[in-house]
Amino acid sequence: MNIDIKHIAKLSRLHIEEEKQEKFESDMQKIVEMVENLPDIEDAPLLDASNPITLRKDKAETGKYTRDELTANAPHVTAGCLVVPKTVE
Amino acid sequence: MVKGYEVVIGLETHAELNTESKIYCSCKNQFGLEVNTQVCPVCMGMPGTLPTLNEKVVDYAIKMGHALNCTINPVCKQDRKNYFYPDLPKAYQISQAEVPLCQNGYVDIYVDGEEKRIGVTRIHIEEDAGKLLHSDKFSGSLVDLNRCGVPLIEIVSEPDMRSSAEAKAYLETLKSILQYLGICDCKMQEGSIRCDVNVSVHKPGEPFGTRSEMKNVNSFSAAVRGIDYEVNRQIEVLESGGVVEQETRRWDDEKGVSVSMRSKEDAQDYRYFPEPDLLTIVVDEDRIAALKSEIPELPNKKLIRYIKEYGLNIKEATAISENVDKAKYFDECVNTSNVSPRSVCNWLLGDIAKFENANNISVWNTHLTPEKLVELISIIDSGKISNAAGKTVFDIIVKEDRDISAIIEEKSLAQVSDSSALEAIADEVLSLNEKSVTDYKNGKTNALGFLVGQCMKASKGKANPSMMKDIILKKLSS
Amino acid sequence: MDLLNLTGYKLSEMLKEKRISSADLTEAVFSRIESVEDKIEAYVTLDKENAIKRAREVDDKRARGEALSPLAGIPVGIKDNISTKGLLTTCSSKMLSNYVPPFNATVMDKLNEHDIVVTGKLNMDEFAMGSSTETSYFKKTKNPYDISRVPGGSSGGSAAAVSAGEAVMALGSDTGGSIRQPAAYCGVVGLKPTYGAVSRFGLVAFASSLDQIGPIGRCVKDTAMLFDAICGYDPKDSTSANITHPSYLNSIKGDVKGLKIGIPKEYFSKGIDDSVKTAVLNAVKLLESNGALVKEVSLPSTDYALNAYYIISSAEASSNLARYDGVKYGYRAKDYDGLIDMYEKTRSEGFGDEVKRRIMLGTFVLSSGFYDAYYKKARLLQRRISAEFSDVFSDVDLLCAPTVPTTAFKIGENIDNPIKMYATDICTVTINIAGLPAMSIPCGYDDKGLPIGLQLISNKFNEQTLFNTAECYENLIGGFKHPEI
Repeated sequence: MNIDIKHIAKLSRLHIEEEKQEKFESDMQKIVEMVENLPDIEDAPLLDASNPITLRKDKAETGKYTRDELTANAPHVTAGCLVVPKTVE
Repeated sequence: MVKGYEVVIGLETHAELNTESKIYCSCKNQFGLEVNTQVCPVCMGMPGTLPTLNEKVVDYAIKMGHALNCTINPVCKQDRKNYFYPDLPKAYQISQAEVPLCQNGYVDIYVDGEEKRIGVTRIHIEEDAGKLLHSDKFSGSLVDLNRCGVPLIEIVSEPDMRSSAEAKAYLETLKSILQYLGICDCKMQEGSIRCDVNVSVHKPGEPFGTRSEMKNVNSFSAAVRGIDYEVNRQIEVLESGGVVEQETRRWDDEKGVSVSMRSKEDAQDYRYFPEPDLLTIVVDEDRIAALKSEIPELPNKKLIRYIKEYGLNIKEATAISENVDKAKYFDECVNTSNVSPRSVCNWLLGDIAKFENANNISVWNTHLTPEKLVELISIIDSGKISNAAGKTVFDIIVKEDRDISAIIEEKSLAQVSDSSALEAIADEVLSLNEKSVTDYKNGKTNALGFLVGQCMKASKGKANPSMMKDIILKKLSS
Repeated sequence: MDLLNLTGYKLSEMLKEKRISSADLTEAVFSRIESVEDKIEAYVTLDKENAIKRAREVDDKRARGEALSPLAGIPVGIKDNISTKGLLTTCSSKMLSNYVPPFNATVMDKLNEHDIVVTGKLNMDEFAMGSSTETSYFKKTKNPYDISRVPGGSSGGSAAAVSAGEAVMALGSDTGGSIRQPAAYCGVVGLKPTYGAVSRFGLVAFASSLDQIGPIGRCVKDTAMLFDAICGYDPKDSTSANITHPSYLNSIKGDVKGLKIGIPKEYFSKGIDDSVKTAVLNAVKLLESNGALVKEVSLPSTDYALNAYYIISSAEASSNLARYDGVKYGYRAKDYDGLIDMYEKTRSEGFGDEVKRRIMLGTFVLSSGFYDAYYKKARLLQRRISAEFSDVFSDVDLLCAPTVPTTAFKIGENIDNPIKMYATDICTVTINIAGLPAMSIPCGYDDKGLPIGLQLISNKFNEQTLFNTAECYENLIGGFKHPEI
């Protein structure tokens, strides 16, 4: 199994430095070789009806947090908005 | 068929549900509030936060499933769709992939007087993303997360539509069904219904062509324009010997063109997997049945009934049935009285519609209750007042809660149906218009109309017109 | 008498009887921290000022005669992946090095109601990914028994702090052994509760379907006290179990007469140190001689569990850690050219190598064309493993196994060899895969004087059997012994 490290890194939005590329690739190779040893099991949807979800009542809660509190950790805020590099031309 | 090609269209329609709170947290689900004020650590995707599923979202999706004749899966789950974008704080959207809440349904639509059945592949629940704001004055983009976690249902159709007109009829039918169920505000300008359009073309007898997916279609008329554009573009590509690419395109409605966003090779790999923070959804059969019993008669069913039972034409039946307010009003008038559905229809699509449009109001918010309209129609039918007088009464009772007979009295609108009084008027008019009498007798039958008109004028419009006409005829032939 | 060699349970009695004050106890903990933290490096963030203030408040409450929890006034350290309102919560990552949560994890709200005193935030492997606490961005925590060795991980700071007296007890989190393995390495008691017993709300997610918060203490009763306070249904966590928990502490019976113990043979096969094997089997013999019934059992899919674990945990991690993109909180790269570059630089600079490896492994096993062969298969195996445990628990009440096949290894020994590092989780991951509760308690030392952990495993929501058995064993061997630092 050859793993396309560059493609996987791109999907993960990670950049692996050139000098680390080889080590990463061989580590990943070994890890994947280790984990791929699994027995064959008949396919089935991943559902567990014996442990169902409890649903939340549709009730709105407001005023628990201020906008300033919620954006206090953001690296760049302007006019109450989070700022990112331009997404359109 | 367009230029010798068959067109195949499938639609993915997103409808925002009008719940009180968001799908996975208790923030308020409301449009148009100040940026980043309807958010909390959960919908902002803060570390360690967890989603909790809103019960009403499940109920609403099941209702839509029933309305579109779907199989409801009592056991289903939610999955994560992974991709990076600034409007998606968790970098995954919670949606449903493997097992949706509803599947294998259909909806009947009407195009050009023909009924057509469009298959519904599935309906699933998911969360909306936030919004990005751009300004030429600012070097970056701004992120507003208020819309994050607004509940959506995605309705995926089979590729069963063959023209943009069918696509439009399908979308309009979905919209009116959503309104009937009361689960979506259907405010197009607020983006509460949006769709992605899949289009392909092929020569008759050949297999389906390669499809392109068009995003950013924000109104039904834009869908029509986008489809027509895309159909022509694909035909041009094929006619010039090219190959249609499987790709995602963005519809630019202002410029009237679709532009390629990404090809199949760059297709995003969403890495769907079951959402581990939410357990399996299990809806018991009683609940599913109870929700089914809450489904009202739907617009496409009403349409047929109006045509078959009441003799309305397609246009009239559509105009009433597709609007939940009008249909309810119509049904209430017709079901609680013996007045003719035709009269109710004429009023509803005539003067009432005019008043609604002029005042931007629903008939339900005027003083004209269905009982009042029925009373008015009955009075006109009985001959007590004329149609013209009826309109005068309407103009008052739509705005004020007034007694109809009091208005007739006050404005002396009652018709004169006393034959001796009418004969006296007839005698006077005939004696003053000898030339017309002679004309009539010489075969100029339109002189009759003139004479009746003169009588009406003499009676200040209060004479019963059909009685008046009978009397004139009798006198002319004696 | 050195307060810090006493158990939390004993200290709780002394506080209740007003023989000591919480302020004195808290001061004692901080003076211990001052003297040993240089060597141990258990904490990422200390919160002395608030701790002393809080301790005084609790003392005041006690003076007014208010009814208090047995935990009231006890200094507790918190793993740095548990959200503490207003207090840095870094997950030992550069990515969150400046992140201050605006809310508390549910366990923190609960502990505050119990009037505990928070000492600070404890070091861990970055985002809980690791078995040695060496992947922390900030520091490498040392094993109090031998500071050239690792304390285990990922809750290495928690176990080391409790062992070294830098906290009376601590909260950790366990995704594949992250409470039990460091507890074993540091000679303390650690409980990984049943999946769903403790709310995960506010626990920064590594692998959502496996993560559980749990207590680390110097004795079995300490862990029961802390578990009593943190367990229970939380409507904010859809995966938390809607059941009523008894007071496990008050229900402890230190008696194993008639207890049916299973010895899963797969846990004693390859790669296990003789000293560990001997210590664990001796512990079982001791329980047997005190009335337990012992038999060998088999869990045939155990050999695949590590593989399934790394697939499932990495898949979930790749998704859970995608939110760290430099937009809403945490680190953002300084120079970048456009959105994608900002994402890539932020994540490449903000995450360490082990986190990147797991994210990439997880991305790979979920990616188009590989999902069925890896992720789906691992999840199907997970069901089979659960079914095998169910079968075994219809026959026995409890399983005994090693917590880790070896004792604490040297710092740096495994850090460049992920496969070897991952193998240390072999005895613990299966329990997370099956969602079961398990506890590690000290059961002796190897020839280098390093602690060995005995792992007790019971059926879902049967923590009581763990407490009962562990209490019995602890009484037989004489309880916590503190290391010389």
